[in-house]
Amino acid sequence: MSSAAKKDMPAVAPRTSAATAAARDPDSDESLLIAVGNHQDRTAFNALFTRFSNKIYAMGMKLTRNDQLSHDLVQEAMLTVWQKAPLYDLDRGTAQSWIFTLTRNRCFDILRKMKRQPATISADDIWPQEGDGDSQLVHEEVGTMEVEVCKIESFYGDLPAAQRAVIEQIYIHDRTHEEAAAVLDIPLGTLKSRLRLGVGKLRQMVGTEQ
Amino acid sequence: MITEAEYHPTAEQLGGFARGTLTAGMNVVISAHVELCKECRGRTISLEAEAAAEMLRSVPETRPQSKDFSGIIDSIVKQPQLQTDEQASDPVTEIHMLEHSVSLPKVLAKVASEGLVWKKLAGGINQASVTLDDQTQCEFLYMKPGSQVPVHKHQGSEVTLVLDGSFSDESGHYKQSDFVVRTGSDIHQPASEEGCLCFAVLDSPLTFTKGLARLLNPFIRYRFRRATAAAAH
Repeated sequence: MSSAAKKDMPAVAPRTSAATAAARDPDSDESLLIAVGNHQDRTAFNALFTRFSNKIYAMGMKLTRNDQLSHDLVQEAMLTVWQKAPLYDLDRGTAQSWIFTLTRNRCFDILRKMKRQPATISADDIWPQEGDGDSQLVHEEVGTMEVEVCKIESFYGDLPAAQRAVIEQIYIHDRTHEEAAAVLDIPLGTLKSRLRLGVGKLRQMVGTEQ
Repeated sequence: MITEAEYHPTAEQLGGFARGTLTAGMNVVISAHVELCKECRGRTISLEAEAAAEMLRSVPETRPQSKDFSGIIDSIVKQPQLQTDEQASDPVTEIHMLEHSVSLPKVLAKVASEGLVWKKLAGGINQASVTLDDQTQCEFLYMKPGSQVPVHKHQGSEVTLVLDGSFSDESGHYKQSDFVVRTGSDIHQPASEEGCLCFAVLDSPLTFTKGLARLLNPFIRYRFRRATAAAAH
């Protein structure tokens, strides 16, 4: 368990840090996307649309060779960006990677529909949402907590206050992510980032200890 | 208990998976492996980042025929935003084979959720075909303990993901989460001592090369044609 936790780090850390660095610039794709997610910021959405629509169109032309389908792809992909923006957080990597995966998934579904292929599976089954991973992570951590509860309690005090507050809401008061975000008055995305960072740190500390 | 995979998709296969350029059948079997394999999950994330950079570098060959994008924006921002990931209730996640049940990767659970029809083949092999697209033949294969597939070679490529148990051929021993790739030039004869449940994706029918099994060849081609014809409708 502890070795698995350590192994996790290299795969996740670099993409998070690249996104975090970019988010310091208020004009970065990341900052715009977060503004869209947190305040339904239309100006930010317009800017993202201008930056990405032609690229999405080009990707559509490459994959479908069809002008109409590529237009549909721009519309569907940007609609998904708008709808899912509140779910984006920096742990999901850079905004461009996130938008790319949404576009790829919409494109797969559009092509399947056009070719009338069986509807048994959709893009979201093939490339699962990170949200699923989220619940898996929390699930795993619950098990960890039971086994390692004494150790974790002693490390818990060393966490930054913001992360500790989030973990307290979720694990001690047993609140859902949405409830905890409301109680702490922070955006859901921020809560998820802090939860993941805090849990990751605890995991690391437990791992180092053994 | 999931063991760490020793056999993985090729760089080309994983790249195609990340870019979204593969057939549905190939995407499904790679997705199932990626769920079981931490290493390939990490690689997929990097490959997606590369593909994203590629997308941003690309410039439309033809300009979109200046349709009014502002109209699109106006209609999009009227839509409600999502606050949580919608999670469809989990479909079947287990498959029952004789006396034991095997838990499946999510994407395969979804594939199996419409019900599998098992057919007995020669040599202690059971097969349940599923149709995912018009270019591949996909199937769950269950090899009974001590069973052996007749010697065959492939015209296209065959990918086999081990879901439970293990099997061996001339080149190795394959356990849970292993992703075994065979191409046109390979002739092989898989056998399973302990029994094995796999998911296999074939982009062209098998050809049997030895003995009476050769008689199966036309039937297999027939079945493949039928499976792909069914997908086309």
